[in-house]
Amino acid sequence: METASLPLSGPGWRRRAAAAFSSDAFFGALGVLSFIALWYVGSRRTEFVPPIDEVIDAIPSFLTEEAIWPDIGASLARVVGALAVASVVGFGAAYLMARGRFWGLVTLRYVDLTIGLPSTIAALLALFIFKRSEVGVFVVVAIATFPFIALTLRQGFLAADRQLGDMASVYRFGVARELRNVSIPHLVPYSLAAIRNEYAHAWRVVVLAELFAVNSGIGWRFSQAFDRFLLVEVALWLLTFMVVLLGTEYMVLRPIERWALRWRGGHT
Amino acid sequence: MRDDGGFIRVEGLTVSYDGEHLALGGIDMSVGEGDFVAVLGPSGCGKSTLLQVLSGLVRPVSGRTTIAGTDVTNESVSNRPRVGYVFQDHRLLPWRTVGQNLELVLASAGLPKDEWGARVERFLDMLQIGQHRDAWPMRLSGGQRQRVSIARALAIDPAVILMDEPFSTLDEVTGRRMRQQLVELWQQQQRAIVFVTHSIREAVYLADRIVILTRGPATVLETLEVGTPRPRQYEDPRLTELESEIVARVMEVWGYEDGGAATPESDSPMELA
Repeated sequence: METASLPLSGPGWRRRAAAAFSSDAFFGALGVLSFIALWYVGSRRTEFVPPIDEVIDAIPSFLTEEAIWPDIGASLARVVGALAVASVVGFGAAYLMARGRFWGLVTLRYVDLTIGLPSTIAALLALFIFKRSEVGVFVVVAIATFPFIALTLRQGFLAADRQLGDMASVYRFGVARELRNVSIPHLVPYSLAAIRNEYAHAWRVVVLAELFAVNSGIGWRFSQAFDRFLLVEVALWLLTFMVVLLGTEYMVLRPIERWALRWRGGHT
Repeated sequence: MRDDGGFIRVEGLTVSYDGEHLALGGIDMSVGEGDFVAVLGPSGCGKSTLLQVLSGLVRPVSGRTTIAGTDVTNESVSNRPRVGYVFQDHRLLPWRTVGQNLELVLASAGLPKDEWGARVERFLDMLQIGQHRDAWPMRLSGGQRQRVSIARALAIDPAVILMDEPFSTLDEVTGRRMRQQLVELWQQQQRAIVFVTHSIREAVYLADRIVILTRGPATVLETLEVGTPRPRQYEDPRLTELESEIVARVMEVWGYEDGGAATPESDSPMELA
């Protein structure tokens, strides 16, 4: 009989998550080790790269300095806020483009335009338009990330399963129930992929915009240290940037993605 | 046509998707309450379209379709009799568990929430998949998914169950077992079933009556009563004999898909008047 018992939904995704985590941990450790090796070589060969031991010695006092946390928080808030704005705008743009009518074609041109706009140019334009303000940072990041989000989500809209829509009609789901149980869950994998892809991009653009536009955040602290040629502090902020970026991706985004897509695991 | 009380009545049904060519060329048929009727036709003749009209998914160009006296093409969705639909592919929501898939249709059918748990359990157990209530559909086999799909159709207390080649993608052994189980379920539930298939053996094994369609745009070629008593065996020589008779009758009309002997009207799509 074909009804051989298969594992139920419960622990499967956790096992896969653990396996994925082990794999991530292995390659992550490999990446860190190669980075340290390069750093070591760089510090021996030039005077612009501070020695590793000096940076490690400075870490305790850096971490206990209360003033760093508001700046890390400010950058993180800008990334999350700007990505949220970009996601909302990207969702609307994707919907219009997927429909393909007049406004969809207009939107597509804007997406094409912004996708080719270098982040540095966007940051300078925002500086000219918004002067040194918080709004400028949000605008730059949103402009830089929204087209990629829009294009990914458009694929989601175009791949909508009409057959599930027919099923929903036959069983009288109604608009709200269909949206909640068919349309939105269908878009979840696309949304997660778009956000995860653009998260690192958003960090880079935020730090770049902070160099020009505001007096807070990791980018601003980085430029302050660089201007005063405090190479150990530059290295510490660089490390902070990497730890926050990778830490949130591996500790927050990926587990969320695994949990949200746990229904995908395992085919018979 | 046999007088079966006309629980489902289809009169002069024509359907066109593009406004120029007909997908159904004028169907007349009738299904009694509790009847098991197979609609048999060659691939692409419009069998699925007929079910889509009965379920309200497709509006016909002309004709009338009633279920329990309600015109399903003109009446609002909420006033139509409930229809359970088993698709060729299971069409379960992959991001909802088996139990949640059933609960969703129960909620949509307006059944009281305090009944959902018992109903889900009852129908999953009936289809022998109760142990998979919390499983994701993607972790089930094809046969198991199709059982969930049948449980979903039955759980809403439908006036009629429409089945669109539900076993065509299953392997032979699973398919036979599912057919046998379907007959048992039908005998317990006594719901009208309209079962679309292109397999003559499947039709003669399952149905009380077989509506044979022509090549598309389909019209009814003939309606046959299957007199073989139940329970039937899949390899029953009487079914084999009936199958051979049907093959002989449809051979000329269905022809071959690659352009063999076919009726003149099936060679090219019928133009809409």
